[in-house]
Amino acid sequence: MARLAKGEATVSELADPFAMTQPAVSQHLKVLEEAGLISQRVEGTKRPRRLETAGIEAMDEWLVMLRKSLEKSYERLDGVLAAMENPKKEKGQ
Amino acid sequence: MTMSEMKRTNKMTLETEGETHVIVTRRFAASPEAVYRAHTEPKLIQQWLLGPEGWVMPVCINEAKAGGIFRYEWTKADGSMGFHITGEILEVEPGRRIVHVERMHLPDPTPDNRVETRFEKDAAGTLMTMRMTLPDAQTRAMMLATGMERGMEASYARLEGLI
Repeated sequence: MARLAKGEATVSELADPFAMTQPAVSQHLKVLEEAGLISQRVEGTKRPRRLETAGIEAMDEWLVMLRKSLEKSYERLDGVLAAMENPKKEKGQ
Repeated sequence: MTMSEMKRTNKMTLETEGETHVIVTRRFAASPEAVYRAHTEPKLIQQWLLGPEGWVMPVCINEAKAGGIFRYEWTKADGSMGFHITGEILEVEPGRRIVHVERMHLPDPTPDNRVETRFEKDAAGTLMTMRMTLPDAQTRAMMLATGMERGMEASYARLEGLI
């Protein structure tokens, strides 16, 4: 995906820098395509792939939100735990 | 322990494992029993499991037993947006471990996510490890294709391409 970020590329161009076979790269691309993160177009016998900006941005946004959401929640949990154990021992042990 | 060490120790991690797993870890300065209670008692859950500022959880049901269900409903404090999660609890070891299946309703349900949460004693506190298992590699790819490691690189590379 870092390679596609620099522009369109074909399977062989994508496989080239990696120790991956073209079928392995194709399989990986298929997963990304089904996830709406990349697309392909037909140009003669070639099928160059490109990043689907809208899909990537939605995913980035969602992931950043998930991570921030968890981090924020756990910061709040720190406070809840402190209140549970101090200053007065709550019910329970 | 200095403040900077404390900060580092409590930093959340989020990593992938194999084809279908996501692992989240976080340390807490409280006993495993307390962290477990905060994950299972609705009155406690409603105080912290709120994500970004401005959200509240008016409905919080957690039966905290094998075969039980849970349901969390969030809304923006001004009532403008909302969504909920439903799930089934598969296994419980009080104070130590919870295994459940959950899905988000947006409003269409997302694929089931199986989550094992462990609470382990760690020095004076607790190490929490949450291990998510998605149904298949594609679902996880959808969640993480541009995610934490390679994903961030791709984003930065894309950004470089734009400027």
